[in-house]
Amino acid sequence: MEQYKHFLQEKAALTPEEIESLTSSLQSKTFRKGEFLLHAGEVCAYAFFVEKGLLRSFTIDETGKEHIIQFGPENWFVTDRSSAYFSEPSDFSIEAIEDTTVVLIDAAFISRASAAYPHFMRFNEKALQNHIRQLQKRINLLLSATAEKRYLDFIRLYPDLTLRVPQWMIASYLGITPESLSRVRKELAKNNFKPH
Amino acid sequence: MKTRSIEVIVPPPAPHYVGDGFRVHNFIPNGYHLDRHRMTPFIMMDYNSKFVFPPSEQPKGVGVHPHRGFETVTLAYKGKVAHHDSAGNSGVIGEGDVQWMTAASGILHKEYHEEEFSKTGGAFQMVQLWVNLPAKDKMSKPKYQGLTHAEIKTFQLPDNSGTIEVIAGQYQDVKGAASTFTPVHLQNAKLNKGGKADFNFPSHYNTALLVIEGSLKVNDTEVAETDHFVLFENDGEAFTIEALENAVVLVLSGEPINEPIAAQGPFVMNTRQEIVQAIDDYNQGKFGYLD
Repeated sequence: MEQYKHFLQEKAALTPEEIESLTSSLQSKTFRKGEFLLHAGEVCAYAFFVEKGLLRSFTIDETGKEHIIQFGPENWFVTDRSSAYFSEPSDFSIEAIEDTTVVLIDAAFISRASAAYPHFMRFNEKALQNHIRQLQKRINLLLSATAEKRYLDFIRLYPDLTLRVPQWMIASYLGITPESLSRVRKELAKNNFKPH
Repeated sequence: MKTRSIEVIVPPPAPHYVGDGFRVHNFIPNGYHLDRHRMTPFIMMDYNSKFVFPPSEQPKGVGVHPHRGFETVTLAYKGKVAHHDSAGNSGVIGEGDVQWMTAASGILHKEYHEEEFSKTGGAFQMVQLWVNLPAKDKMSKPKYQGLTHAEIKTFQLPDNSGTIEVIAGQYQDVKGAASTFTPVHLQNAKLNKGGKADFNFPSHYNTALLVIEGSLKVNDTEVAETDHFVLFENDGEAFTIEALENAVVLVLSGEPINEPIAAQGPFVMNTRQEIVQAIDDYNQGKFGYLD
């Protein structure tokens, strides 16, 4: 829980006392690599704050192909916001791709924290706006950007994930084939590699 | 000369897989909190204890990954590993061979079971060590030293005790062929039952043994079984091993590199900033490319 408390202190400007009063009811949970936190078709009851490890949310199309919506390394939230807010079945599954410890944040926590602390409400609203900004950017990249541009954006957003996830997952997230991803990386190496 | 006492003898920690081809016990830094400072310059040790891999058409191993800031030393006891890197080097590390790779400023490589070995399957036993580099050498040029078993110099112990294969450093008048950036002794003691060997390293050198085969009596007192790791105190220079049955023992001793360590995944540098730089350089293709 320490990571989440630190996060709240830093991002939501809550005092340690405020944080203690809010988080005493929260639970954290550890999932092994390969375990699911949510299956498509279920209602997503929580936002998962990643303290340690790595999550992915993804969908599977009719041909059985996986499409990665989001990665969630340390200090990220992973959830299906619409499922959580509207209590509707989720299209997404959420899986731990490393052994992962998360804090489970439910709607009641958000309501309680927002009612108690206006600065938490402002923080939460800003987080939602930022989420929408990222989604808009991602839609635009997926519709209009070259494979290279998508990859360059990815390494800016998730610098160390290239060391933590297999290539096919990165390709899946970027909406390109693994072959295209290889080509992009090869091209970058050709331009940037200067042997000693 | 004072006797170096045993700090602890530990069994192999629970194994995990590196890729799908290496089933390893990690002794450094995770196994017994032998953190990177305690055993410096040895900052990582994975031990694939003897394990029989079934035949596989598709060679098992670890895919392309980078390294920066240290050296990887792979010792093959059973089985064969093929490797390829972004500088165009490739080769096979066979039984008794040692590959000393200086990743330094950066290299991409992959390591797989050698094709024929993979097809037949069989016993596989390896050690991989990471040897740290001092700050001034971390960004030096990557290089390889491939030592075949035949090239490794040996010292014949008296009284049919066995032999000491000197990979790096020195045993009596025999010097190892591997060149190192800081003083490192790396030796395989191959002892016959009842055979004895004496070792003598400066007391401040961090020193340990890994029992690859057989069992030992150390300093005439404690017994170390197969796959156990013997950590010595830094309170003396000399220690003795005696084989209770035919034994193979990896002996490691090195001068500490007392510099800050910042480590993440395959990068070991001195500062967090250098780690961020390493990740960025890797992402930007500055380590080259390897399929």
